[in-house]
Amino acid sequence: MANENLIEKIMNDPQPIPRKVPDYMRKSGGFMFWTGAMVSAVFLYEVVTGLILLFYYQPSNAYKSTEAFLNTVPFGSIILTTHLYGAYAMIVLVYIHLLRNLFVGAYKRPRQMQWLSGILLLLMTIGVGFFGYSMSGDVLSADATDVGRGISGAVPVIGQYLTSLFFGSGTQLSLFHRLLAWHIVLAALIGIFFLAHFFLAEYNTIMPSGKDSGDRAPAIDKDDGTYKPWYPYNLLYMMQIVLLTLGIVVIIPSVLAVIPNVPALFSPFPQVAPNSPLAMSVPAYPPWFLLFIYKELDFQFAQGLGPFYATLIFAGLPLAYLVLLPYLDTKASLKLVDRPITVSFTIVGVVYLAILSAWGALEPGVPINNGIVAIFYIVPLVVITGFVLFLTKMIKQGKITNPYIGGIVLSATFAGLSAFGIGAILVYSGMNFTPSVLAGLSILGLFLGISLLFAFALIFGIFPPKARKQEENISKNTYVAYSSIMGVLSIVILIEILSMPFGNIYNQSLYGVGLGVLLLIGGVMIRLYRGQYYGE
Amino acid sequence: MSEKDREETTPPDSSRRNFIKMMGVLAIGAASIGFLRGGIQNIIPSSSPVLTGFPSLKLVDTTGKPISTNSLVVNNPEIVTFDYPLVDEPNFLLRLGDSNNKDVEIKPVTVSIPLTGQTFQSPGGVGPYKSVVASSAICQHLGCVPPEIRYHTFTASSFDGKIHCDCHGSTYDPFEGFKVVTGPTQRPLPNVIMSHEGSDPDTDSYYVKSLVGPVIYAHTSDLSGGNPLPSTTQTTVTVTKG
Repeated sequence: MANENLIEKIMNDPQPIPRKVPDYMRKSGGFMFWTGAMVSAVFLYEVVTGLILLFYYQPSNAYKSTEAFLNTVPFGSIILTTHLYGAYAMIVLVYIHLLRNLFVGAYKRPRQMQWLSGILLLLMTIGVGFFGYSMSGDVLSADATDVGRGISGAVPVIGQYLTSLFFGSGTQLSLFHRLLAWHIVLAALIGIFFLAHFFLAEYNTIMPSGKDSGDRAPAIDKDDGTYKPWYPYNLLYMMQIVLLTLGIVVIIPSVLAVIPNVPALFSPFPQVAPNSPLAMSVPAYPPWFLLFIYKELDFQFAQGLGPFYATLIFAGLPLAYLVLLPYLDTKASLKLVDRPITVSFTIVGVVYLAILSAWGALEPGVPINNGIVAIFYIVPLVVITGFVLFLTKMIKQGKITNPYIGGIVLSATFAGLSAFGIGAILVYSGMNFTPSVLAGLSILGLFLGISLLFAFALIFGIFPPKARKQEENISKNTYVAYSSIMGVLSIVILIEILSMPFGNIYNQSLYGVGLGVLLLIGGVMIRLYRGQYYGE
Repeated sequence: MSEKDREETTPPDSSRRNFIKMMGVLAIGAASIGFLRGGIQNIIPSSSPVLTGFPSLKLVDTTGKPISTNSLVVNNPEIVTFDYPLVDEPNFLLRLGDSNNKDVEIKPVTVSIPLTGQTFQSPGGVGPYKSVVASSAICQHLGCVPPEIRYHTFTASSFDGKIHCDCHGSTYDPFEGFKVVTGPTQRPLPNVIMSHEGSDPDTDSYYVKSLVGPVIYAHTSDLSGGNPLPSTTQTTVTVTKG
């Protein structure tokens, strides 16, 4: 029908929401269809903890109120640190969601608008992270707002207005008030755009597997009559994923909180105040998810350009590529072999992002001359693109039949990345083995060894062909035993975390770990139940 | 439904299945209750004191130098305040004198609280001339803070020698233990108990020890409802134009 109501169509076509989805979305590996659900789960957690934090945050007293929240308010430590790590998790998951959709070609028609709204959500997520990170008022937040002021102030013509729009007119009070306002405004916008993004996804249906769509766009998921209803099958699976994700988000910062000497970059706590004498000893790091821009500003020619144009080039070009991608890559095929350029650009992009971030962490603020910058940009581009093009050609001609080709490419990429990193560190450090250089070398060396091992293992077929999983005939009583153990365990943990005092950081960490374990238990119980009664 | 019918219509495994279901609900319920404990306990503002007792703090200027008698101006027309006992709780620091700006000894007096009829003992002045006093600078009527509430010197056009709040006209007498002169306030300002060390008016120093009188405006206790000061040894005195 031409004049069909769009909302009606979204709500009822191909079936009424909540929609049935194919079984492979719930099989092993099916979580790749739920990366968006993981992002939303963490977003929801961020909203809840953020609203709690809003009760205590004082823009007039940013650092002191943050410290007081951590040290004197019951469970303040656990709420603030998990809010921070939830944000980190959200950014990582947004990137994973983006990569997954790049690789499966979900940006192709009819999902262009969904893709573009996703890019917008990525930007807003990084923005909300930046403002939130700057709100603590510690020395790192002061560094971050300084860089932010530098970039916004260098925008031609309207720079001054942008700076005062985002960072206030100069007093600390107006700065932190604005950071708070922008943090909330962006979070609210994320909520709104998330709804649009979500309903576009419902409208366009899930991205079906290659087998179902014949690897051709437009890939629309149609119920072939075998789909099971959303309730209880998808609801339970979704709960399982949400519980496991949140469990991990709660446990990581709780453990980090009691580990001594966590590097500033990953510390769940704010650093010292900017006016403290100890502030000199804290390197001027931006949040890790902006390290790549930070390093790029150290490049010789970027320093000639000034912070705004440098950011425009380094962040704007990849962004423009992502925005234009649905209109550049319009071929119908969704096969990776038919999209070698997209695939290699994606890998190159990840390589750039990873190296720049590590570089920024190891050598913050060290200027880099143009020769090294050129090598850094050209070598991975040429090597990876050439390699991928060669590989796709071989596969198309039928010369490569190794079923593990995907894994081999992945491990080879990691190996190449690590080797490049080691070479870069060796050349760049001038063989001057300071502890940070050694740390970088040993980590990369470990990566190199593991990925090479994997690549060779796959090439020479050391892994046996996937054996069919033996029918695990665990008796029903064993399941009952498992579940009773976990039920009792959860009661014990609950009693423990309800009765413990919240006096110090160790208690709160224990509370956080207990809570995380409860969430994980919940997830595992759902998994057991699904396995036992739905055969999934 | 009879017992027999139920056995026939439900699958034989249903009791096991329900048990596992129950255990799952239990685990997720436990997680929710666990979350609730943290969340609820967190958002209820602590009414238990953030400090275990009044801290004894040295008064220092913005450069960290101790405040000496000679660094205080007698009948200063500017507003001199320090935070105590928590952040954002300003207190007046006054060196009082007569109309010729000569130090006046402030004697300990008994001050009554009109609202309750109770009384308390004002500590009186400290320092070489017993002329330095301090009190909360948050008006006991509706909580106005400096510069709305301030000390009016003897050269001022009105309320000379009194602390007057421009918001609603409450007036207090710093020479008489900050007692109520005119309403609408029904409580005097909480007095700060101070001590003095040293004999040379250029190098001596002042300490604030505790508060006496009504609780600070809108507080349930002087030691709760805010954030502790950054230092446990000193508090900074700031001077702003009156």
